[in-house]
Amino acid sequence: MPQSLTLRPALARLPLQRSGLRIEALPEGTVLHLLAPVGSGPAGLTAELGASGLSLRPVSPGQWFAVGDAVLSNTARAALAARLKPAAEVVDQSHGRVRIALSGPMATRVLAKGTAADLSLTAFPIHHATTTLIGHIAAHLTRIAEDRFELIVLRGFAESQWEDLDRMSAEFG
Amino acid sequence: MTPYRLPQGGLIDRSTPVSFSFDGQALQGFAGDSLASALLANGRLLVGRSFKYHRPRGILTAGAAEPNALVTIGRDGRTEPNTRATMQELYEGLEAKSQNRWPSLDVDIGSLNSLLSPFLGAGFYYKTFMWPAAFWEKVYEPFIRRAAGLGRATHEADPDAYEKSWAHCDLLVIGAGAAGLAAALGAGRAGARVILADEHAQPGGGLLSETAGIGGKSAPAFAADLLAELAALENVTILPRTTVFGWYDGNVFGAVERVQKHLAHPDAHRPVERLWRIVAKQALLATGAEERPLVFGGNDIPGVMMAGAMRCYLNRYGVAPGRQVAIFTINDSGYALARDLETAGVSQVTIIDSRPEGGIDYAGAARIVRGGVVRDAHGGKALTSITIAAGGKTERLRVDALAMSGGFSPIIHLACHRGGKPHWSDEKSAFMAPSGLQGLSLIGSAAGIDGIAACLEDGAAKGAALAETFGFKAEKPAFGLTAGEIAPMPARPLWTIPGIRGKAFVDYQNDVHRKDLGLAVREGYGHVELAKRYTTTGMATDQGKLSNVNAIALLAEARGVSPAEVGTTTFRPFYTPVSFGALAGPSHGRHFQPVRKSPLHGWAEKHGAVFVETGLWYRSAWFPRDGETDWRESVARETKNVRINAGLCDVSMLGKIEITGKDAAEFLNRVYCNAFLKLPVGKARYGLMLREDGFIYDDGTTSRLAQDRYFMTTTTAYASGVMNHLEFCAQALWPDLDVRLASVTDQWSQMAIAGPKARKILETIVDADLSNAAFPFLAAAEVSLFNGQVQGRLFRISFSGELAYELAVPAGYGEAVADAIMEAGRDHGIQPYGVEALAVLRIEKGHVTHNEINGTVTPGDLGFARMVPAAKPDFIGKRMLERAGLNDPQRHQLVGIRPLDPAAIFRTGSHILEKDAAAALENDQGYVTSSCHSPHLGSTIGLALVRRGAERHGEEVLVWNGLRGEFTPGRLCSPVFYDPQNEKLLA
Amino acid sequence: MASLLPCPHCGPRPREEFTVKGAAQARPAPDASPDVWFDYVYLRDNPRGAYAEYWHHTSGCRRWLIVTRDTATHDVFDSRDAAEGREVRA
Repeated sequence: MPQSLTLRPALARLPLQRSGLRIEALPEGTVLHLLAPVGSGPAGLTAELGASGLSLRPVSPGQWFAVGDAVLSNTARAALAARLKPAAEVVDQSHGRVRIALSGPMATRVLAKGTAADLSLTAFPIHHATTTLIGHIAAHLTRIAEDRFELIVLRGFAESQWEDLDRMSAEFG
Repeated sequence: MTPYRLPQGGLIDRSTPVSFSFDGQALQGFAGDSLASALLANGRLLVGRSFKYHRPRGILTAGAAEPNALVTIGRDGRTEPNTRATMQELYEGLEAKSQNRWPSLDVDIGSLNSLLSPFLGAGFYYKTFMWPAAFWEKVYEPFIRRAAGLGRATHEADPDAYEKSWAHCDLLVIGAGAAGLAAALGAGRAGARVILADEHAQPGGGLLSETAGIGGKSAPAFAADLLAELAALENVTILPRTTVFGWYDGNVFGAVERVQKHLAHPDAHRPVERLWRIVAKQALLATGAEERPLVFGGNDIPGVMMAGAMRCYLNRYGVAPGRQVAIFTINDSGYALARDLETAGVSQVTIIDSRPEGGIDYAGAARIVRGGVVRDAHGGKALTSITIAAGGKTERLRVDALAMSGGFSPIIHLACHRGGKPHWSDEKSAFMAPSGLQGLSLIGSAAGIDGIAACLEDGAAKGAALAETFGFKAEKPAFGLTAGEIAPMPARPLWTIPGIRGKAFVDYQNDVHRKDLGLAVREGYGHVELAKRYTTTGMATDQGKLSNVNAIALLAEARGVSPAEVGTTTFRPFYTPVSFGALAGPSHGRHFQPVRKSPLHGWAEKHGAVFVETGLWYRSAWFPRDGETDWRESVARETKNVRINAGLCDVSMLGKIEITGKDAAEFLNRVYCNAFLKLPVGKARYGLMLREDGFIYDDGTTSRLAQDRYFMTTTTAYASGVMNHLEFCAQALWPDLDVRLASVTDQWSQMAIAGPKARKILETIVDADLSNAAFPFLAAAEVSLFNGQVQGRLFRISFSGELAYELAVPAGYGEAVADAIMEAGRDHGIQPYGVEALAVLRIEKGHVTHNEINGTVTPGDLGFARMVPAAKPDFIGKRMLERAGLNDPQRHQLVGIRPLDPAAIFRTGSHILEKDAAAALENDQGYVTSSCHSPHLGSTIGLALVRRGAERHGEEVLVWNGLRGEFTPGRLCSPVFYDPQNEKLLA
Repeated sequence: MASLLPCPHCGPRPREEFTVKGAAQARPAPDASPDVWFDYVYLRDNPRGAYAEYWHHTSGCRRWLIVTRDTATHDVFDSRDAAEGREVRA
């Protein structure tokens, strides 16, 4: 029996450093899928999550991702899930979703090659999030700062998404 | 004489010579030249041969409408046929070749077609290639195929990159001439998000060829100033070399940007073309107007050119058309050309003006023939003279260039792309854009407005007004006075010129001449859509940009009606041809479609898996070992090993859905046809999902992990479909149920561990008690592994029919856990097995997949009738399942089938006949849905759907493969070939 | 080339992000007559003009929508979440 199990990273890739753009795989920390009744808001959840080092990303009516760079232990996750009940059910997606960050002034130019969402700051302000096709792959997109976006993509598609971003950003090499 | 470069003038950079070649001849132009202007500057008049008659053709226009000067540029994979020389920027080393000629442009055998021209008129194909029918395949089609088409595409792969991008704006301005520039400025200054697209390398439109002054500046300098101001505005994007080719639903515009088509050595990291989808709140069409040719004899002889094009080559590129120039015009624009020619030192200019009162303000040196027409032009490969008819007399005049202006047609294509019909204006003698358009309006010449000042005013006003509607405070820009412009006022049209001797072309690209249209009307094809097909006018790469209005007017005259009554053919995207490369974008090769990889992909690779594409997934199909020469060998070994020892199979790609909420049980009870309300915590259950029409949709297992939490698996193929379906049920059908769904397919790495040794192996890894008593068949639980290092989920379910488990662990741990299981199982003989072995195992056990669940089967057909409780008040498919036809005892039912001779084989898809029945479909009893070689039974086995199959076990039948002519005697049997008592399964 | 559909949650998005299911009809009661069920499962109007359909924003918010659009012009008159605005024909 192994002494400790080795995690296989979903994206064992070095960051892509372009002119005006950096693309990097974010730490495979925590992604919790929060499922609440449609129409209920995240109010009351933010404090609980903040205490666990997680920030909220809206997904769809009644659904959020709570994400963080650190791995939550099974116990901590279970405790958090218990505290969030009945406001929301928690489904762990920490291994099922992979986060990629795009930062720099060229980030919107690169993303516009994949998504039809309007990425202007007025239409897509900071903290705004949406799920959209980026090329062929559906991904969750959050604007973290004016020049910084976070992509959350299904683990199985992570490598393809990365290769697409590599191609889409090549002109800024 | 031929055209020549003037010693000065134009917007070209004479300090930067550019070398290029045409048909192998080395030539030189300057930076800023188009291929067309450089060819003219080198005295090349003849640049191509016409499509049908192979007539010598020269450059007719200076823009996108060019029908004649189509050349092939580049070589190898970068070969680009049908490139309009008028649109191609010159670059160092450009190689251009003429088309549609053999052996050379000067000596073209195909021109003999001209001698046959009496037989090649309208409807030629329809009339000629009619009989005998047998000639179609062998004679006519090969002949037409060889003769058809313009340039030749290369068979080599295009080495360049293409991409797509979305863009969003308040205002899209299409065309950067006077009106477009003014509109962009009017909206841009106010702060609106503006995209200004222009098909040329240098935005500015007609201003770049204009000698009038605006606000004290030359027109090109004025345009440059406006562009500089726009470029400095952060909210304005200028897209040069960008053709907006279509207007689509949702006010989306398609555009293609030729990013690097003007470069000798494109940067491999950048695309050569970029396809834009531009979402615009509003668009302004500032596409200008197209000058129309006049239909006189020999109007296609090299040296005949559109008047506006001649002026463009003269003023913008510093190329004079010749020494003795005639201008045939029906409006005042010819006088502006005459004035500019005179300024450039071309002294022998004759104006033939169809109007008796035309050009009264003209004070230049040119000779004017008022009330006259050019009846015929003469020459072979170059124009030599023209015949003028005026006042009842004719005159032959030696000229080496002839300009023509038959009026102007607003370029309204895009405005008609969404179904609006253009309308004829008698006042403008042109078709105008449809009325009542939303999201798009027209400005400047495209709206029928004449003159620079009026176009600037119109653009500025509309741009500023739209900015106000977007919520910006806008002020209409003012531009100062325009001086020295001769604007072409609307003129009386001149469609038919009497007494023509030569061929008078209407559509240059398709060699359609005036008489063809008359013939079409006489033969009953006078309707505009019929005439188009009958004569081919308006077809091919230029889509009749120059010819359509003339053709419609001539049809109208022949029919004795107004052009309004004839109407136009339908305008469709694309405005100009778009390359397949741009339309495909990056979606080829590695980027054709995404690859979906299992978390155990690396593990499978380590074990030498051969992968098979299943949708987007790559699944391990089998794991060949040294010495195995055939995939069947590997599959048979893997299969036997599972039956004897144990195997590990990656099933991560099964759809996995987590279902929570207080009504989750009720929800499952409604989406499955079998009962789910009473499924205990800690148990898995096989579930059948029906479609609303009563047939089976998908199957899988669902486990109750906690009171209000379920874990559903679906088949790989239907994973996304089932999730969509469940969401439909939850959101659209029963929004009052508290049920919440999350796809967790990617969260879990799931592996099947199957075989008599499976328990022994797993016991060393899973912390829980796995004894039959503690963890019986269909047990399901969250478990910890490796003394609590990892939390997983364990299910005692079996597709193979063996003692088996499915273990799910967080995806990132999948490979480590699989490695550990292989290590723990080494002494027990564990081997990986792929989906091929899995398929054999399940057929032996009589388990169904979508081979059997093929959209025509009910639960009863598969022997699951008793699973469907009659008492359930509702579930998807309940009412339709009650239909008599779905409960007919004659229905096809699942059976097993074996050949009588164990060495014989049959194939999936074969039909079942009664033993002595004739091989005909009327005797069809059913068909084989799955088949394989069973290592367990040592013969081919199959599953089949057979009429009344359940009661026919033991019957001898004939398996018939009509495609291959194979007949295999066989016997129907129970579909469960292996362990019918489930002793292994429950061990 | 492109068609945009307005998602009430995500804004205008291209057709590729959606899956269309067909006419937005109310599911009959379990005990409704067979005729009603046959109509629901098999019979569809095929109007030229306004038509209410179920669309799923599959590659977006994954909500089912009822989109009313013109079958001839593709003009979209209305788009609402199927769970909220259940104005479907029985």
